[in-house]
Amino acid sequence: MADWRLAVDIGGTFTDVVLLDATSGRVVVDKTLTTPEAPLEGVRAGVTALLAKAGVAPPDITAPIVHATTLITNSLITGRTGRAGLVTTTGFGDTLLIRDEHRYDMYDLQIEFPDPPIGRDLTFEVDERTSATGEVLVEPADADLDRLCSELAAAGVESVAVCLLNSYVNPANEQAVASRLRRDLGVPVCISAEISPQIREYPRMITAACNAATMPVIGPYLDELQKWLSAEGFGGSVLMMLSNGGVVSADDAARGPIRLVESGPAAGALAGKWYADRLGSGRLLCFDMGGTTAKACLVTDGEPALTNTFEVARIYRFKKGSGFPVSVPSVDLVEIGAGGGSLARLDRFGLLKVGPESAGADPGPASYGRGGTTAAVTDADVVLGLLDPDAFLGGDMPLDGDAATAAVATTADGLGLPVIDTAAGISEVVDQNMAAAARMHGVEQGVDLRGVTILAFGGAGPVHACGVADLLESDTIIFPPNASVLSAFGTLVSPVRIDLARSMPRLLGSVDGAERDRLLEELRGEGRRVLLAAGVPEAEVRFRYGLDARYSGQGNEITVWLGSGESWPASDTEVVEAFEAEYRRIYGMTIPDVEIEAVTWRLSAYAEEAAVTPEVVAGVAGGTAEPASHRPAVFHRGADPLVVPVYRRQDLGVGAAFAGPAIVEERETTTVIRAGWRTEVAPDGSLVATRDD
Amino acid sequence: MSSTVRTFDPVELEILWQSLISTVNEQARALQRAAFSPIVREAGDLANAVFDRRGRMVAQAVTGTPGHINSLALGAAAMLEEYPVDSLVPGDVLITNDPYKTAGQLLDVTVLVPAWRTPATGGQPRLIALFGSTIHHTDVGGYGIGAGGRDCFEEGLWIPICKLMAGDGTGGSERNGDVWKFILSNVRQPDHMAGDLHAQMASGEVGAQRLATLCDAHGLDDIEDLADEIIERSEAATRATISALDAGTHDASAVLDLADGSTVDIVCSMTVDPDAGEIVVDYEGSSDASPWGINVVRNYTHAYTTFTVRSVLNPDIPNNHGSLAPIRMRAPEGSVVHAVPPQPGTARHVVGMFLPNALLKALAQVKPDGAMAEGAGAVWTMQVNGHHDDGTPFITAMFTYAGGVGARASKPGLDACSYPTGVSAVPIEVVEASAPVRFLQKALRPGSGGAGAQPGGLGQVIEFEVDTARPWQLNAVTSRLTEPPQGIFGGEPGASGSFHVNGEPVTTQTRITLQPGDSVRLELPGGGGYGEP
Repeated sequence: MADWRLAVDIGGTFTDVVLLDATSGRVVVDKTLTTPEAPLEGVRAGVTALLAKAGVAPPDITAPIVHATTLITNSLITGRTGRAGLVTTTGFGDTLLIRDEHRYDMYDLQIEFPDPPIGRDLTFEVDERTSATGEVLVEPADADLDRLCSELAAAGVESVAVCLLNSYVNPANEQAVASRLRRDLGVPVCISAEISPQIREYPRMITAACNAATMPVIGPYLDELQKWLSAEGFGGSVLMMLSNGGVVSADDAARGPIRLVESGPAAGALAGKWYADRLGSGRLLCFDMGGTTAKACLVTDGEPALTNTFEVARIYRFKKGSGFPVSVPSVDLVEIGAGGGSLARLDRFGLLKVGPESAGADPGPASYGRGGTTAAVTDADVVLGLLDPDAFLGGDMPLDGDAATAAVATTADGLGLPVIDTAAGISEVVDQNMAAAARMHGVEQGVDLRGVTILAFGGAGPVHACGVADLLESDTIIFPPNASVLSAFGTLVSPVRIDLARSMPRLLGSVDGAERDRLLEELRGEGRRVLLAAGVPEAEVRFRYGLDARYSGQGNEITVWLGSGESWPASDTEVVEAFEAEYRRIYGMTIPDVEIEAVTWRLSAYAEEAAVTPEVVAGVAGGTAEPASHRPAVFHRGADPLVVPVYRRQDLGVGAAFAGPAIVEERETTTVIRAGWRTEVAPDGSLVATRDD
Repeated sequence: MSSTVRTFDPVELEILWQSLISTVNEQARALQRAAFSPIVREAGDLANAVFDRRGRMVAQAVTGTPGHINSLALGAAAMLEEYPVDSLVPGDVLITNDPYKTAGQLLDVTVLVPAWRTPATGGQPRLIALFGSTIHHTDVGGYGIGAGGRDCFEEGLWIPICKLMAGDGTGGSERNGDVWKFILSNVRQPDHMAGDLHAQMASGEVGAQRLATLCDAHGLDDIEDLADEIIERSEAATRATISALDAGTHDASAVLDLADGSTVDIVCSMTVDPDAGEIVVDYEGSSDASPWGINVVRNYTHAYTTFTVRSVLNPDIPNNHGSLAPIRMRAPEGSVVHAVPPQPGTARHVVGMFLPNALLKALAQVKPDGAMAEGAGAVWTMQVNGHHDDGTPFITAMFTYAGGVGARASKPGLDACSYPTGVSAVPIEVVEASAPVRFLQKALRPGSGGAGAQPGGLGQVIEFEVDTARPWQLNAVTSRLTEPPQGIFGGEPGASGSFHVNGEPVTTQTRITLQPGDSVRLELPGGGGYGEP
């Protein structure tokens, strides 16, 4: 009997939906344009079409629906956030405007900073104070709270962030202010000590502010979504994917939307982890190229790296430092403005640049025929013959080849180059940009990317993966089935997990075991609650323990994981050994005679098994590769068009093999195989390309 | 050694060049993360760069402060004069804080880690590059942070150019024990000093490993030919930018006033020579050296001069030996911009970071759309020390605050933002966690930006007290208390700063002793406006 699971991923350009039958492993996917003004419309259209295609009725879906989204990121980038208020300690209402006083580019005198998500006119101060040791010196007075409530009400705020000095040590004053505001204002209120419990007032405040500003974006959407789902008769609740690959209920997500900021990429990294596990590949680079951006995320030893800060909405040439440094646990990835919608332009030296500006979903590339006139990467790919205008989205959304040529021709005029060379140049520049960013990501993780296996996905990923792999000197590329919706797929094949952390700074030698165990017991309770709510049987709930520690006196911690079980698994000696091993791995040495300080205790609660362990797609047996057609295409700048075989993905059975150059088409994407690569269909339906010796 | 010159196609050169920059960036990130010195880890007060065998800076990390980076460029060469590359053996590591040969204050310690490589044809490992770092250490003994030291000997421990680690001749490396003993016996926090020296060495190792990988990938025995390509192209591009300007000499000056009422004149004369593709900046006429520790060594003046010129003319060309070479500088010996031993300079940033204010005016005459009005100048630095009620001492790290930046041709000045450095303010919560300091406000200062077609950036107001029952000390270095930052092309001046304790102005540059309950109020200057309002 079928056991259908549904996943939804709202991206910047497309909304992806995936159905997976946990019994047979059958996968059905669909893709529709994202509707930024009313995201539910796109979801409704996609899910309805998908269910019709699969012949599944809403009540057949009883498991939780897993949902990833870029709504939060996009609302912060576009500034289309809610009208949020901010409450700070008296004397510190300008913190978001002063930031950290840092110039992110020393040499560029023209730098700019983004307007904070909550303006000064909606920032209010309250007389209160907590000391750095956690002592409450001044409690907020009732009269002051009355004034605050009436000012916020008069300002018409839809949500409020409260961020008070030193709340990371003692959140009592933040809680007192928040509970009063919740009672009297009736709008959602968040406090910085819950959203980002860490020392340093600016990152904590900007994180809380981004959270509050997006609460009015995500809250109504989730309400509408849940109403629609229950009206349609869906049986499952909604689980939202977090930036670190864990999940939370829709209600928890509505309270902490900033934790969803890298939701989609985190889901993609989970898919990468799943493939790395299956392939026994210790090191794999997830390469996800969509309509607006490309992301690269390294999975090492089966685990994507995590980071605690993520910069969102970089406004000045996409430069590091020109955005909001939100601090939430996230999958560590590099993201650059390179996608199918990235626009070509000439810089002041007359050189060809591609991105970071993007045509987005509306108007989209010129070939979408929605009014775009500037050449985008997709337009170049059409001109090169890599994409067939009539086969885009299986022919449901034919592209306008003439418009693509006209747009590229405009760029070509500026460059003084032939149209075809210009199209090849656009493709080459965007590949170079992506390879350089991926290389930097590898450098930051201390990993040499040469020879790394690339997992290519996203709508434009399979089109450009071979070009990027050539630049990175990669030997293997995996084009998984359903590559264009892999993030959504990733949410379905990963065990449910939630990561929790709490600060309790102590020198390692003076940690009180009983106190630590009480803290961990609370975290286990919270983890168990979330997992049970996600439908995980109690017997399958597992706990893993970690610690952020540093040499006493240092300002940054490193995370070490110490084992699993029902209680803290490591002796002090084992903690020291694990810390020194990790420190040596990162810095190449340890520091003698300095005490280790434990700062933040971590608990990861997870289900032992994924709810679904599909065989992905049962491949078509007895595969031979017969092209459906041939067409001319250009793969390199200056090269003549080659007439190459075009395969239909659904015709390629397991074991089918062919040499590049070749093109493989399926409804949601096109896979481009360059010369020098040999491709074979793996038992799970993946195309595996390996470099010729 | 190969006799043929290795050439690079444009794509390979681009990849190698960007990889070298990535390598030093990575080195800097590792150093910042591992550092004990709070100003390094919180404010990014560090510099990293890679040098070729000839001691030329080939690539630098995009971090830190111009004063550190461009001083490191010259400092490494000075270190190699004393220890030529051919005299070094694997395992050697060099160190110094000689202010007159490096960055101008004893707290800035430079460590140079050689990278070695065995040629493809075999033979002995050969030194192919040096990874340098300069960071601002927590303490080097002596007077401590501030302008009060009367000569460099009073300011702290002088570490001459010497070996911190010594190779044993078989590839191993040992501590130069006597050097470590001298250093660690003369500083107030030896464990932090040792930790930061380790961090500097480790970051150099990170760079050396990455470079080895890069050389493997591209079949390089050394980076000499690559360095030539990078440096020559950068120099040619810089000269081409200068050649597009009109010939001429432009004079400019700016006046810096200090808390004690004294003033420092910065006078500069900038000559553009389009035929040679050179710019010469001459500081003749600037004030004589000060009795206070605000004097700038030649390296540091050179650093801020090249930085200012490049930020206006060609900020897009990467910083290296080649892009710096066409910008020349002269400064009279013994003046405030060319200190000689033993003139003190621990607070030399006050004058050094002010230098662009004069030079920008000269540059505005040749490139008005790229220039900027005067701003607040140096960040104000603070350090508080005293005793807890139980008698144990406390001392904060140095913490800094920025005023408003000058307006630009088509954009307003940035509010409360560091310029010319890139340093971040130490977060209030970090200062409060390190000592019983309690801040009452940190807010933008309304109306402090000069009016103009584009207004200057706002300064800020900061107030704090110390929660202690005993007298405490404040070591504050402030500036621009009476002479406001000037506007340009008809823009109005920003507001000058003020420094008060309990409402009374402070009129000294040295450490002051305050009482429990005393309240410090800083009003930082705003930037000047650009164009008539």
